[in-house]
Amino acid sequence: MIEMTDETHEYMVNVDWKHGKVGDLSIEGKPKVEFATPPEFDGPEGIISPEDLFVASAATCLMTTFVTFTKKIRFDFKSFSCEGHGTLERVDKGFQFTKLLLKARVVVESEDLKPKAERALELAGKYCLVSNSMKCPTEHENEVVVG
Amino acid sequence: MSDEAEPKYYPVKLVWTGGKSGELTVEGKATIKTGVPSGGPEEAKFHSPEDLFVASATMCYMNGFVEFARKMRIEFKSFECDAVGTLDKVGRSFEVTKIDMKAKVVIDSEDIQKRIERALELAARYCFIANSMKCPVTHETDIVVE
Repeated sequence: MIEMTDETHEYMVNVDWKHGKVGDLSIEGKPKVEFATPPEFDGPEGIISPEDLFVASAATCLMTTFVTFTKKIRFDFKSFSCEGHGTLERVDKGFQFTKLLLKARVVVESEDLKPKAERALELAGKYCLVSNSMKCPTEHENEVVVG
Repeated sequence: MSDEAEPKYYPVKLVWTGGKSGELTVEGKATIKTGVPSGGPEEAKFHSPEDLFVASATMCYMNGFVEFARKMRIEFKSFECDAVGTLDKVGRSFEVTKIDMKAKVVIDSEDIQKRIERALELAARYCFIANSMKCPVTHETDIVVE
């Protein structure tokens, strides 16, 4: 990533075809990721697809934004996990993601932290830059538990 | 492509591992560690959400190209694509405002150049992922005969 100004950032990626429907994703300084066309479009089993990463980008962004808000609101949480479900559907000219559901689960130590965690999750959903860059609506199901 | 008209579902699972990092799993596939550039060297070395977003569109473009080349029964020696995504302030929040792609395809003979151009064009037009994003995606293409 190159920082241009405080408000503009660039992200550079490279993809390189290997064989059949399989390629490598390279980003400088980061592990290589093998990817392929998914099986439902006649690709091989067991390899990460662009569709997986599209959904993953929104789930990871929700998490990083949540962590940012926990720092702003100043509270600690014990764990965070998120299941992302993307729906790809045929629209006029080809497929498009029509829906994204993010189910986040946060564990906090005590009851009094619950409203704070709920607020941080709500703000994270609102300010998640990745889902804000997608056309499809994102639904959130948040669960905060004491544990 | 069986049941082509049926919706397809993509479930992923992300578990926080500390800082702003996590472990991303898709059932039956390799785990991807995620991080952020601002999190120090331990977190900066893993893929950020922005990386994954830009990567998903770029990978989808390649998959589309491979598929159209196969349908048109043309062979190529290599395909490579560099992409740059730009994140910018929009209103009170950030958004990816554009992705610029540069694809390079190497082929055996000039005879198929036109068809390769066509496959690249169709791949850009029917890229599921780019079509699911708000931002424009540009494509520069370079076809080399070797």
